[in-house]
Amino acid sequence: MDIINIILLVFLAGALLTAFAGKVSSIVQDTLFLITIIVPAILFFLNININSETVISLSKIQLTFGLTPLSLFFAFIVFGLAILAGFYAVGQMQGKKRKGYLYFNFLLSIAAMFGILVSKDLVSFFIFWEIMTWSSYLLVIYNGKNVQQIGIKYFVMSAIGAYAMLMAIVIVHSLTGSFLISDMIDGFADMSAGMKLLIPILLLTGFGVKAALMPLHIWAPDAYSNAPMSYTSVFSGALSKMGIYGMVIVFMTLITKLPQESLIRDIIAWLGAITAAISTLWAIKQDDAKRLLAYSSIGQLGYIVVGVAIGTPLAMLAGLFLAFMHGVFKSTLFMVVGAVEKQTGTSNLKEVTGLIRKMPWTFLAALISIIALAGIPPLGGFVGKWMLYESLITSNHYLLVTLVFFSSTAAFLYCYKFLFGFFLGQEEKEWAHVKEAPAIMVVPMLILSAISVVLGTFPQLILKPINSALAFYGMPDTYNNLWKESMIFNKWGDQVALTPIVYGIAIVFVIFAVFLFFKNRKTSRYVTTKDISTSGEVPKEYENLTFKENFFQPFLRAVEPAMRRQMDKYMLAFAKGLEDLFDFTRRIYNGNGQTYAIYALLFVILLLLLSNNLFS
Amino acid sequence: MVGTPVLFIVIPLLAAFIIPLTGMVWKNSVRIIPGIVLSYMLILSISLLWHITETGTVIEVIAGWKPPIGINLVFSPFSGFFATLMIFLGLLVWVYSYKFKRNIDSEPALKYFILLMLLVTGSVGIVLTGDIFNMFVFIEIVGISGYGLTSFYTRRDSAEAAFKYLFMGSIASTFLLLAIMIVYSQLGTLNIAEIADKMPMMSNKLKVISLIFFMLAIGVEAEMFPLNGWAPDVYTQAPGPIGAAFAGIVAKAATYATIRVMFTMYDLSGAMDFLIVMGILTFIVAETTALRQDRLKRMLAYSSIGQMGLVMVAFGIGTKEGIFAALFLIFNHAIIKGLLFFSGSYLVYTKKEKHISDVNGMGKYLPITSVLFTIGAFAIIGLPPFSGFWGKLAILTAAADSKMVALIAIILSVSVLEAVYYLRVVNRIYFFPKKESMETQKPTINALIAMISLGIIILVIGFYPDLITGFIDRAAADLMDKTGYIKDILTINN
Repeated sequence: MDIINIILLVFLAGALLTAFAGKVSSIVQDTLFLITIIVPAILFFLNININSETVISLSKIQLTFGLTPLSLFFAFIVFGLAILAGFYAVGQMQGKKRKGYLYFNFLLSIAAMFGILVSKDLVSFFIFWEIMTWSSYLLVIYNGKNVQQIGIKYFVMSAIGAYAMLMAIVIVHSLTGSFLISDMIDGFADMSAGMKLLIPILLLTGFGVKAALMPLHIWAPDAYSNAPMSYTSVFSGALSKMGIYGMVIVFMTLITKLPQESLIRDIIAWLGAITAAISTLWAIKQDDAKRLLAYSSIGQLGYIVVGVAIGTPLAMLAGLFLAFMHGVFKSTLFMVVGAVEKQTGTSNLKEVTGLIRKMPWTFLAALISIIALAGIPPLGGFVGKWMLYESLITSNHYLLVTLVFFSSTAAFLYCYKFLFGFFLGQEEKEWAHVKEAPAIMVVPMLILSAISVVLGTFPQLILKPINSALAFYGMPDTYNNLWKESMIFNKWGDQVALTPIVYGIAIVFVIFAVFLFFKNRKTSRYVTTKDISTSGEVPKEYENLTFKENFFQPFLRAVEPAMRRQMDKYMLAFAKGLEDLFDFTRRIYNGNGQTYAIYALLFVILLLLLSNNLFS
Repeated sequence: MVGTPVLFIVIPLLAAFIIPLTGMVWKNSVRIIPGIVLSYMLILSISLLWHITETGTVIEVIAGWKPPIGINLVFSPFSGFFATLMIFLGLLVWVYSYKFKRNIDSEPALKYFILLMLLVTGSVGIVLTGDIFNMFVFIEIVGISGYGLTSFYTRRDSAEAAFKYLFMGSIASTFLLLAIMIVYSQLGTLNIAEIADKMPMMSNKLKVISLIFFMLAIGVEAEMFPLNGWAPDVYTQAPGPIGAAFAGIVAKAATYATIRVMFTMYDLSGAMDFLIVMGILTFIVAETTALRQDRLKRMLAYSSIGQMGLVMVAFGIGTKEGIFAALFLIFNHAIIKGLLFFSGSYLVYTKKEKHISDVNGMGKYLPITSVLFTIGAFAIIGLPPFSGFWGKLAILTAAADSKMVALIAIILSVSVLEAVYYLRVVNRIYFFPKKESMETQKPTINALIAMISLGIIILVIGFYPDLITGFIDRAAADLMDKTGYIKDILTINN
């Protein structure tokens, strides 16, 4: 039996065992859960073999599994995040209800993501795609809040995407006679012009839903903020990347063969940029950290889509690099929120303040990730964003780059709001009891932050797999002359050119800080935030000095016209209208036997009248 | 070979006469004997189904009168598939309701099992018979036992539902008789194979008129829009397991009759397109109506009607893939809707009105039933890895192969609605607080056995569809082979 089948079986058996192990003991359940994540990961990484293929033959369909360099790259993201978030989940779920439920669906969605990545035919791709959808759906409704609206919205949008994809799949099958992805790619050139346009659009709709591309994004803010944070870190970090994974394949193999190539690329890139801009504005407005990060996720995915849609070698590198980085820092941030929520009981930025001394390690992880998210050197986010800007400028998308640059700059506002809200500001008595989160939750965050730091200096660690992934789909090999592609890399193409300077400055600062610390060590004393006097008045205990109400109000007032129209509202109104319409069709069945008899009569009469047209 | 097809008819009819007599001696025999009979029928049909893979279709000539004069029973891969499925479901309904109405002394309970057995027998008869008038008789048997079962709870609403069913059923029988009369007057035969053989001799006008009458008559039983008004009331008012029986047995038999008439007997070119149009209309109207229901069983009933519409669409596609898809959908619908009716009726067991909101919070009190209902809901939506997915994939592939892109789009859009109303119920089961301190009814052990075995089948077929695709493939090939069917029957000699 092949290793891929074994991994899938381990996942399935492990998920079932874990779900019911709660009856035995909580520790057994936790252990089983972690084993079920780690064992497949080890099995997978010990047996990476790009060329092997496994086939499960059914009478009508052959399910084919195998690896491509691209799926290998995404598998890094999935397994890496799954392991770290798995440990984190064990810590977060301590003493919570529905633990088996969470573990089961968590494992199933990891397995489904793995399945998507190793699927070489469209049917198994779709099967795993749907399993991923329903397992994540069950986690979105995990906390039971407003499930009929949030859950159904997520499922309906996912179903629309999945069914669009399914339609493309069966059409491809009818045209090529095969479900294999490679056959679809080979046979694409021979299809009629209409099909050539229809199939990529249907597929992009399917992937766009998971990548939260406007106007298919409306599920994302609620879904991300309502799932348990241990899962959201995977949800936003890895699961949304499945949409990107599909998009990369569609753009590299199908769109390139289209006569309307540049038009579609521009449309999708613009959609991505608009998604980024609008959702950044919405993120700034949020007072709940979960929702803030949810909108931020949508925005970041927008950048990635821009890169993938533009499709020059540098843009692809930038898009996939950002995808990896987003997986790293956004999942850290969701974990941070989860940790704060576990320790304080709320994730509202208005309520929680001044945790920097209470939760220093969490703060450190948040700080590093925020720096990476904002794209400040020397962390990984900066490299990706720079590459993206440069690729947009070199491919003459000046308007687009302005929009992306705007949203990226505006992102600073919510970055600051997030950091300030939880950790800085005045310490209040209400939170005096707060302790640092347990180590099992903090360590995954710190590991992820470390990855952010390392990739900021050595981006080639991840650019190499990206490069081989892209080369597999026919992109020119750029790895050995990265410096030609982007000026951010030094002459040897193995490092970020700016980094030595940045580190130099950083070292100077650190030395200065150490110097100050030692110089004033004797005279300095510990003060509380209220230990000040403003204009000669000493603030009282109860006085609130932090500015948390109406954060960024002038800015929001300025951009308000852009936020007035909400896709969400249109869609909800549309759904409401449909339901009312269905209420009308319901009235066909009025419960009166005589009416039914009249229907029967009308049926016969109509058919008799139309019989000449109907039958021949 | 363990028996011949005629035993499917003779044994249960004989048992139906004997049971009231033995019931006077030993009360429990009233519910035990039907179970034994159904088990025997299941064993018989499975062994026959294996048998015919080697020898080909079994044709039974009754009383030595060879076709086309006498009545004949045909156990082909196609009809055998239907018969086996229906008997299996009938047996499960029996298992499920074995302890149902524990008070065996109550008058209706005595009749319940006999009527159930007759319902199965009539449906099997519809499927096996090769004679159109014989089919009429079996449709009447099904109808009469159906009316009785609908009014099982002697309440006002049940009586009303049964009356509506009776009303529509009578209209259907009238038109069926008319259609048979037209055919007999023109062709001088009642044998389906010979009718099919001689069909070109009939004038086009009469052909169309008789077909329309057939459509009306069978469409009532097959729950075709707009003739299906009776169905939701009947599903709602009949006992829970009978809902499963209607969805899994009666509707299937009527679908079989539709196909035999439309596909085998008639050779009108527009008939298949007509089937697609009616199917898609039924599908859309039923699914949109189901979305707005506030009673659980009504919702399941409309969903069931919608699924049967989809089956009609698949048959209407008319290619081998289409028929394969239709048979797969029929199989799925039988087991999944069976599970949904079984588990759904326990979720609202103690409630009088049986509103959807009555399932709130049941996940805690009836964990196994809730999980099974959830599996059923996921399966009927067509989510992998449950069996419903393969059926949906099959019909979409068939539609794509016939270049019906718009049809795919319609089916998929309506499927989204289906997902919405089922998930609304599942969400209620698990995430809503229980409404009041009302009692819950734990499922009896036999009901659990029936439900769990259906759940296991759904999962097993979901993971390994090949277990049944072989049978379905042969059944589809058998239906496609119209001339073979005619030749087999008309040249039989034994």
